[in-house]
Amino acid sequence: MASPSTLTRRALLGAGGAAALAGTVAAWPRLTGADIPGRGQDALTILILGTSQDAAGRQQIADAFMETHPDIPVLIQSVQATDWGDFFAKILTMVASGTQPDIVYTATEGAQLFAERLALPLDDYLLRDAEEMRDYFEDVHPSLVEAFMYKGSLFQLPLDFNAANMYLNLDVIERNGLEMPGEEWTKDDFTELLRGMKGDATPYYWTNRLFGGIVPWLYVNDTSFLIEERAAGGEGFWSTFYPGEQRSGGYLWTGSNATDDRVHESFEYLRGLVGEGLAVRPEEGGGNTLVGLFASGRIGTTPAGGYWVQGLAEGGMRPEQYDVQFFPKWRSQRHQFGAAGYAVMKTTDKPDQAWEWIKYTASKEAMELAFPTPSTTPTRRSMVSDSLYTGVGPEHWSRFYETLDRFPDTGPIPAPPQQAAVETALIRNVSTALSGGPDLVARSLASLDADLRDVFAEEDPS
Amino acid sequence: MTTDRDSALLRWLFLAPTMLGIGIFVVLPIVGSLVLAFFRWDIITAPQFVGLANFTAMATDRTVGISFLNTAVFVLFAVTAQLVVAMLLAVLVSSRMPGWLRVFFRSTFFFPLVLSAASVSILMKYLFNESYGVINWLLSLLGIPAVPWLTSPQWAMVVVIAVYVWQNFGFSFLLFVGGLSAIPTEVYEAGSIDGATGWRQFRHLTLPLVSPTVLVASVMAIISALQVFDQPYVLTRGGPGDSTRTVVMVIYESAFRELEFGRASAIGLVLMILIMLVTAVQFRLARRFVFYQ
Repeated sequence: MASPSTLTRRALLGAGGAAALAGTVAAWPRLTGADIPGRGQDALTILILGTSQDAAGRQQIADAFMETHPDIPVLIQSVQATDWGDFFAKILTMVASGTQPDIVYTATEGAQLFAERLALPLDDYLLRDAEEMRDYFEDVHPSLVEAFMYKGSLFQLPLDFNAANMYLNLDVIERNGLEMPGEEWTKDDFTELLRGMKGDATPYYWTNRLFGGIVPWLYVNDTSFLIEERAAGGEGFWSTFYPGEQRSGGYLWTGSNATDDRVHESFEYLRGLVGEGLAVRPEEGGGNTLVGLFASGRIGTTPAGGYWVQGLAEGGMRPEQYDVQFFPKWRSQRHQFGAAGYAVMKTTDKPDQAWEWIKYTASKEAMELAFPTPSTTPTRRSMVSDSLYTGVGPEHWSRFYETLDRFPDTGPIPAPPQQAAVETALIRNVSTALSGGPDLVARSLASLDADLRDVFAEEDPS
Repeated sequence: MTTDRDSALLRWLFLAPTMLGIGIFVVLPIVGSLVLAFFRWDIITAPQFVGLANFTAMATDRTVGISFLNTAVFVLFAVTAQLVVAMLLAVLVSSRMPGWLRVFFRSTFFFPLVLSAASVSILMKYLFNESYGVINWLLSLLGIPAVPWLTSPQWAMVVVIAVYVWQNFGFSFLLFVGGLSAIPTEVYEAGSIDGATGWRQFRHLTLPLVSPTVLVASVMAIISALQVFDQPYVLTRGGPGDSTRTVVMVIYESAFRELEFGRASAIGLVLMILIMLVTAVQFRLARRFVFYQ
């Protein structure tokens, strides 16, 4: 016969409490995050937009850096965000909570926000190590560098970029008996090409955002929705690294240009495409969502940069099934591009170590580790080569970089320090303008103008 | 021997973790938000006292005005649809049917509620895509041209409401099923003797008897709908234009995109007061329309 249990309730509770205590002690490193590599050390912290897998992907660069700089431990952290605006907001939250990183990988969208408020200018370091840096600047187009200059100082070294070129689905083109357009094609040629695309494929698919949305159409029409000016300064930098180049101290976007006739004309053109059924009404979101649709032959044309190549290859698209062309010509053939690079936070207590990281990541060795596949366009011209694209990229992959040479007025995404508010105003009014009749275009542009005037009129608290 | 004092101490001890959690994660943020409404703050520079400026600016802010209007339209149609659909299905499920079928319907109707609103909205975004969505493909089989569900101001709010109702009616449905099961069968038997069947039975017997549940369901549905964010944010980001921008979206955008935490707090405060007012009005009206057995 089984004897009755002698375990009292008190003993049971005590055992439970002891077990909970033991569990807590055992899990303490996890609970406190002490098991995260680099946590607790005085490491140089680098923040990127992406997942923990993306951070792990860059660990190879960090390891290589630490081999040459064993005295500088590096910790790469990632922050997930829906877009750059969301990423910047999270960084600012980290700054407010006192957990800011030392270095942030940021794109053109945030270049001036960082330059204005968060980042350290690199000018002194560049002059100090000019000889070491010459190799980098000789390999990088000055347009990309100028995009990261702000009021005469350089804040980032661009490591990758993407110009808004036009992707053409050759399956759709051949299915309709059309021909691949030439480099000098015009927007009228583009319209005719779209009109020739019959069947299931959407002739022109585009997204409503700062990169690759309405802006490329404004640029080729030799205008923009913002007043674009150039800052003075930077002469010392340009004469040191790009002698003979007539460049400025960086872009300045100083106010609204939304009521310009050419802006209206560009909007009206796109409204016409939508009205004629040649283009979808633009949806918001990243261009990467379109990879599957393009790869499966359901999109005829769409604006995108070199970042699409790897995605299309992974989506099962063979190089001969598509090609890339310059954006069609209108009044000009000025392209839009976005770039990215590391910015040093001015709050860092390790500026010298941070500069070593910046220098190392701009080296060809580090950039080859960073960009082993064509998931973006490296800013070093020497890396945009057969070895990167053979068997993966389209026939005319060289146009990704040639865009900068062929069209020297090609410019960055118009992103002043108030980028978030500017982007919100643009997206909101683009979608309204293209969802109705011609009168709605004028009304929406007036509304965009009012919104932008509000944004630029607000006193900068800094 | 346990004294009353020991017992009280023990009660407070058990309550302490919860109260501490609520204090830190609910009360403090609310108080902080109330205070912030009178400041201008962008996170990285020191807050600057601006008095009532954030509130007066709201009065002339077009986006805020539109967002309140959109939210009102959303609440009106979404809550009405949610309650009607839930009630209809609850009555149907409460009618005679095999037990297993009732369990199946109850689970099925409740299931969308346990899914993440963001995931549902992403899925729905694909379904409602103008060019490649399944919905338009099905319509095309009937010869109906593609509808710009998410890219036209006329349709976008309809889709947002439909997606919201699809996901949320399950909660009201469960409440109604509970309310209906509490109605004694004798009432219906007596009603049928007096000739009350079908619609008359529903109108004069079911609805009054389930009215306390309707009150609870409608209060909760309105409070939830006034705070709608996930569906319009994922489906349309408030567009086209401002046609689906809701108050909570403006709060989010003000705070976390434009870094205007004072403005966001001021709008949040106004929304909180509005929710309290609407709820108070509902309870006031309940005195006339709710029947307690």
